Amino acid sequence: MSALNILLVLATGIFLAGLFGVAARRTILMQLISLEVMLAGPALAFVAAGAHHGSIEGSAMFILVLGLAAAEVALGLAIYLHMRRATGGDSDAATRLRG
Amino acid sequence: MLAYLLLLVPLPPLGGFLLLALDPYRMDRRPVLALSLAAGIAPLFLFLPLAIAYFNGAVGDMIAPAFTLNFGQYEVALAMQLDPLSAIGATTVTVVASCVMVYAADYMSGARVADLRRFFALMNLFQAGMLSMVLAADSIVFFLGWELMGLCSFFLISYNMTSPRAFAAGQKAFVMTRIADAALLAGLLLLFLEATSVRMDELIPAGLAADESRAAIIAVLLLVGALGKSAQLPFQTWLPTAMAGPTPVSALLHSATMVAAGAVLLARFAPLIEATPGVAAATAIAGVATALFGAFCAIAQTDIKRLLAYSSISQIGYMLVAVGMGAPGVAMAHFVVHALFKSLLFMAAGVLSHAGGGSTAIEKLRGTAYVAPISFVTYTIGAMALAGFPIISAGWWSKEAILGAAIEAGPFGQFLWLVGLGGAALTGVYAYRPVLCALRKPLHETPKGHESWLAVAPLIFLAVLSVLGGFLVEPIVHLMGGHKPHPGLGIEVMGAVAALVGLLGSVAVTFIPSWNARIKRARRLRAGMQVDAIYYAFLVRPYRRVVRILSGRDGKLAKHIGEGPEAREGGMGDPVGTATVVFGLWLARVVTAPFTPDRFDTVIMRGAREARRAGLWTRRLQSGRLRDYALAFAMGLGVLVILGWGMTWG
Repeated sequence: MSALNILLVLATGIFLAGLFGVAARRTILMQLISLEVMLAGPALAFVAAGAHHGSIEGSAMFILVLGLAAAEVALGLAIYLHMRRATGGDSDAATRLRG
Repeated sequence: MLAYLLLLVPLPPLGGFLLLALDPYRMDRRPVLALSLAAGIAPLFLFLPLAIAYFNGAVGDMIAPAFTLNFGQYEVALAMQLDPLSAIGATTVTVVASCVMVYAADYMSGARVADLRRFFALMNLFQAGMLSMVLAADSIVFFLGWELMGLCSFFLISYNMTSPRAFAAGQKAFVMTRIADAALLAGLLLLFLEATSVRMDELIPAGLAADESRAAIIAVLLLVGALGKSAQLPFQTWLPTAMAGPTPVSALLHSATMVAAGAVLLARFAPLIEATPGVAAATAIAGVATALFGAFCAIAQTDIKRLLAYSSISQIGYMLVAVGMGAPGVAMAHFVVHALFKSLLFMAAGVLSHAGGGSTAIEKLRGTAYVAPISFVTYTIGAMALAGFPIISAGWWSKEAILGAAIEAGPFGQFLWLVGLGGAALTGVYAYRPVLCALRKPLHETPKGHESWLAVAPLIFLAVLSVLGGFLVEPIVHLMGGHKPHPGLGIEVMGAVAALVGLLGSVAVTFIPSWNARIKRARRLRAGMQVDAIYYAFLVRPYRRVVRILSGRDGKLAKHIGEGPEAREGGMGDPVGTATVVFGLWLARVVTAPFTPDRFDTVIMRGAREARRAGLWTRRLQSGRLRDYALAFAMGLGVLVILGWGMTWG
């Protein structure tokens, strides 16, 4: 098994761990953190692939993902602060908001 | 162009009715009176110039078409016309109705039931009905006016809605006249089929051209219609009870509208009646029998309004005699004169009975001659006209014309003349009774009353016409295309003697105590020979019994026929009427219900039901929980990965 394959398996594992976190936790904050973990998996895969092929695009994609994650956390935390007042930070309780 | 004025004549009263009936402003007494008076008198000023021009010969017959529709060969052309009959009729109606409206404005102000708006609205509609009937040039407008009057008479007779007696009287008038109205409608429809047009000027020739049996049927149907509306035998029972209505209503109803409408109908269709000798004879016999019957009943009355009601029945009988004798012109002359003095009699009687303490009993009139002298004098003039006092009263001239027309018509006519002469003598007996009674000294308290000018002015006007109306008889007969009969001097003298014998009889009946007592005992005669009771026993009670059997306790019989919705509810209002509905429901259940299930329909409807259930179930997928969506996303992703792996394998 080449180094790339090991890294890809590791990336898949990180992604699945994050997915499990999103699906299993009810706290919005934990779900946000799990979402970040999920994003970290594909980011690792991009970097690994870029390094393997000796190309800069992999690292560029990682920076893009990093920016996306930062924006998402900023928005997500703002929404979380609002929802905490209504639901106490429970994402399931947010279903009561549906029209 | 002038003809279109005719279309305007019935409009003011109709507009008055609409304004008063809808009245968004909640008008007070004065505006209501002003509006209804203006609407009631306007036709007089609209029509009188036209009528005068017509009588002078300045304008000829004219027809004002309203609109025309063609259905294949049938033509429906609504129109109004000016011809001798409509000119005479409409002039009389406008003059008399104006007088009655002026009088009613004063009379009703003191009425116990103070709903002037309703009263005057209906009076105006009453006028509009009669005017459109008299002026109609087609059978549709004619029948419309005829029915409008029936409706208004119902509402006006039962004007005092708190009194069950008044309400029953209105109902009775409506139902009794409705029987005859059905006959009239059938006759008019048969005529329409003969003529394929509704125009009078085509109906009557077509009726004359129809074959003998059909013409006879039509003539009989028209006669029955007239008998019902004019309260002739055997339909006379509704008129005396109709006295429950206010006095101005009676004055209008007996003189210029409703009751006289039957005579106008017969005069209008006189050629058809004359064309069938049997029907003409029947008309004359019904007329003379009613004249005699009404006079006999009137003698026994102790109530002045009922006395006058029976006298109307009797006088219109004379008009029928004239039509039956082939002299509709003479009938119209008597119609005019009768309208003048009968409205006068009713209105004067209203003032006198107010002076006598509000009771309409003749005995209560004692002494009223001294407190209401103008009304008393005008009433006396009216009574003289009614009794046909020789030479100086208008009634004498028109009645003599009728009797003369009878005696000129052969042996059958001479028999009618003899009976009619007897009736004339009896008329004198009852006509003067209230007059003599009013002259006597009062028994207990002295009556007190006042005569306001608004009420007295029409009385004086009508009294003058009741004297001078004799000059109208000959021109009217000429205008109608007939000739005034001139029987021998002996015959005229006998007529005069009959009228004077009536006066003597009246004096005897009033002042000879034993005769007076006999009248008070004549209970059978007072109740109109109890025809009413006979009708009740043989028509009303059996019908009620049938209704009760059909309804049972909870409509048992109707329940056997079918399951009407009312049958389960319990009592039914009208089982006879419901029976047809129940039958229809039963028919629907037996005939159409077995064929209603449709296989395709059921399949499609099941699909629709399932789609709804599927929707309800799928809805639950949209839970709104982030974790559910994440799981779904993961599962989808897993499926995609497996798919991709499987496809790139190898």
